[in-house]
Amino acid sequence: MKGVKALYLKELSELDGVSGDEGRVRKFIEEKIKDKVDSLKVDVLGNLIAFKKGTRSNRKFVLTAHMDEVGFMVTNVEDDGTLSFAPVGGVDPRVVVGKPVRINGELPGVIGYKAIHLQKKDELLASPKFENLRVHIGARSKEEASRKVELGDYISFATDFRSENSRATGKAFDDRAGCAVLMEVIEQEQRYEDDLYFAFLVQEEPGLRGSAVLFEQLQPNIALVIEGTTAGDDPGLPEHQWATHLGDGPAVTFMHRGYVVNKKIYESILQVAQKYDIKHQYKRRTAGGTDAARLAKTGGGVPAGVISVPARYIHSPLSMIDLGDFENTVKLVSNILEEGEGFAR
Amino acid sequence: MDTVSLLKCLSSADSPSGYENEVLKVIEENIKPYVDSVRKHKMNALIAVKNGQNVKKLGIFAHADEIGFVVAKLEERGFLRVEPIGGIDPKVVISQRIKIFTKQGVATGVVGFLPPHLQKDDQKDKVPDYNDIYVDVSCSPLSEAVSVGDICVIEGRCASLGDKFSGKALDNRASCAALIMAASKLEIIKNRADVYFIFSSQEEIAGPGAVSVAYELGLDEAIVVDVTHGNEHVPQMPQIKISEGPVLAVGPVINREFYKVLCDVAKRHGVRTQIEPTPGRSHTDTDEVQLTRSGIKTALISIPLMYMHTPVELVDPRDVEETARLLALTSTVNL
Repeated sequence: MKGVKALYLKELSELDGVSGDEGRVRKFIEEKIKDKVDSLKVDVLGNLIAFKKGTRSNRKFVLTAHMDEVGFMVTNVEDDGTLSFAPVGGVDPRVVVGKPVRINGELPGVIGYKAIHLQKKDELLASPKFENLRVHIGARSKEEASRKVELGDYISFATDFRSENSRATGKAFDDRAGCAVLMEVIEQEQRYEDDLYFAFLVQEEPGLRGSAVLFEQLQPNIALVIEGTTAGDDPGLPEHQWATHLGDGPAVTFMHRGYVVNKKIYESILQVAQKYDIKHQYKRRTAGGTDAARLAKTGGGVPAGVISVPARYIHSPLSMIDLGDFENTVKLVSNILEEGEGFAR
Repeated sequence: MDTVSLLKCLSSADSPSGYENEVLKVIEENIKPYVDSVRKHKMNALIAVKNGQNVKKLGIFAHADEIGFVVAKLEERGFLRVEPIGGIDPKVVISQRIKIFTKQGVATGVVGFLPPHLQKDDQKDKVPDYNDIYVDVSCSPLSEAVSVGDICVIEGRCASLGDKFSGKALDNRASCAALIMAASKLEIIKNRADVYFIFSSQEEIAGPGAVSVAYELGLDEAIVVDVTHGNEHVPQMPQIKISEGPVLAVGPVINREFYKVLCDVAKRHGVRTQIEPTPGRSHTDTDEVQLTRSGIKTALISIPLMYMHTPVELVDPRDVEETARLLALTSTVNL
C-alpha cells in the first residue's frame, strides 16, 4: 500500500457543497479519480458513481461517502439589503454567530450579532434564533442585494483548512473525511476480487436521500459506508458519554438510528482490523444515522457496515480530526478490500 | 495606502488591552511620514505630534486596544479555559479559532461545541458562558507551551463585502485609521493648533490610558474618536446608520461650543454627519478626558459600526474617510 497523505482533505474541506449543491465537490472528485477507475457516471440525483472491475466479479461491493455538508439557504432578501436564511441539515444556531460565510461558493458575507452592549439581560441569556439572524453582504438595499443573490442560493461557512500537530481543523469533515478516504483508496490503483463501486453521494444531511437511488442502479450485494462521525471527547461531556474519541483509530459502528449493522459485516470489519493490527475503536453511542440505514431499506435491501473517522465539533464551522485516525481508516478499508471474497462471507 | 489596506493592516494586528505594542508599531510606521515627532508613552500609548502655529494644543484620541482573552486554567489532553478581557459575548466565541500568545510563539486552538447529536434536551437552549467554553489546543505543536496568563484573541479574517469592510477590532482600529489619514491631510491643509494624535491603551476595560496622556500634555481641546452602533434599533434614539457619515455626540460629557464648531466645520465643507444624543456617560475615553486637570473641552466623534465586539465588525470605509476629513479640517480653525 502506498503511503497515506490525506492528499485531498484540504481541498475537499474548503469546497462548498451544502446538500443539493454538491456540484463543486463532485467536479473536484471526478477530475481527480477519472483516470484511476474503469468508468464513471453521475446519476439523476447527482451521485457520482465510479466503477472498478474485480478480478473475480462474483460480488458487487459498494463503498459510499456523502459529498454534502450542512449549511444554509437564502430564504429572503430584506429591505435593508441583508439576507434571511434557514439551515440545511442540522445546524445549531449557537455555532453560527460572528462567522464569515460564502454564498454560492464565492460571494463573501458575515453573520453578525447584536452588540453585547445593546443586549438586555434576557437577550444575553437567550440562544440565537435563525429567524433573527442575517447575512450581511455589504449591500445597502434589497435592490442592491438582489443583484448579487437570489432566493434559494446556498450559504456555507467560510473556514480555511489547517493541519498541524497531526490534527486537521476545518469545516465539513462530516463527510469530506469519508470522501477523502475513498479517494485515497482509489489512489492505490489496485484491483480486488469484487466488483467495486465508489459512490460519492448527495443529500445525506437532509435525510439520507442520495443513497436511496443506489439499489435500483447497482443491485449491490454488500456496502460499506465511510463517515466522519461525532466524537464527544471534550470537557463538555464525561467520558462515559463520549461517542468516539480522537487518536484511537477508525470507529466501527454496531448500531445507529434505524439500523443494526449486519452481524457478519460488523464482525468481519473487526477481524480485519485485528488481523492487520490496525488501531480501531467502537462507536459507543447509537445516536445519529448514516446512509447504511437507507441502503438497508431500499430495493431488496443492502447489508452495510459503517466505519468512521472520529471528528470533534461536527455540524459547526470548525471541526477537528486526527490524521492518524484518518490514515488508519484508509488502511482498514484497503485491507477489507484486499480480503476480497473472504470478507463478510 | 488606501483606506481598505490601512484597515486591513490595523485589524490584523493583535493587541488586547494591556498588550498594545503590536498595533502601536503598525500605527507608528504609518503615521511617521506625516508628523513632526512620534513618541511612546509609559502607559502604552503612542503620541504623534504635528506642530501648528503654537497657539493651542488639540488632542485627538483613539484607543488602540481590542477585546481579547487571558488563559485562566489548563486542563488535561490539550484543553484550556479562558476569561475575557473586555466585554465579549460568549455566543460569538463558539467555533472560533483562538490565537494564544505563548512564550514560544503563537499557538492556535479552536473553541469546540457539542454537536446536536450528543446534546441532551436540557442543553439545547442553554447559552454557554465562560464556565462552559473551552479552547481545544490539541491541534497546535505549541499546546504544551501554553501557560496561565497567556493572552489570546479570536483569529480575525478581514473581508471586503461590496464597498463595506468587515473584520475584528475595527472597534477601534477604524478610528486609528481615521487619525492616520487625518495626519496625512495636514501636509496639505495646514493645521493651526498643534495636533497631538494619541493612540491610547486599555479603553476596553475602562482602564488607564487616555487620561494619563491628557494630563501630561496639558491639552486645551480634545476630540475622542471611537465607534458607535450602526443600523441598530435603540429605543428612544435616532437610528445611526453606516454609510451616512461620522456621528457627533451631544451631552454632558461634550463641550457644547466645541460641538458647534465641529458642526459648523462639517457644514461648511460638506461632511455629512449624524447626531447621537448622549444623556449621560458615553462609555468612551471622553468621559474621563473631560475631567483631566482643570477640565478639557471635549468632543466625541464616532464611526458607525455594525456587530460591535464580534469578529465580524462591519464599517463603511467612506465613513472612516469622512471622519478623517472632519478631523483634519477642525485642526485648521480658530478654536
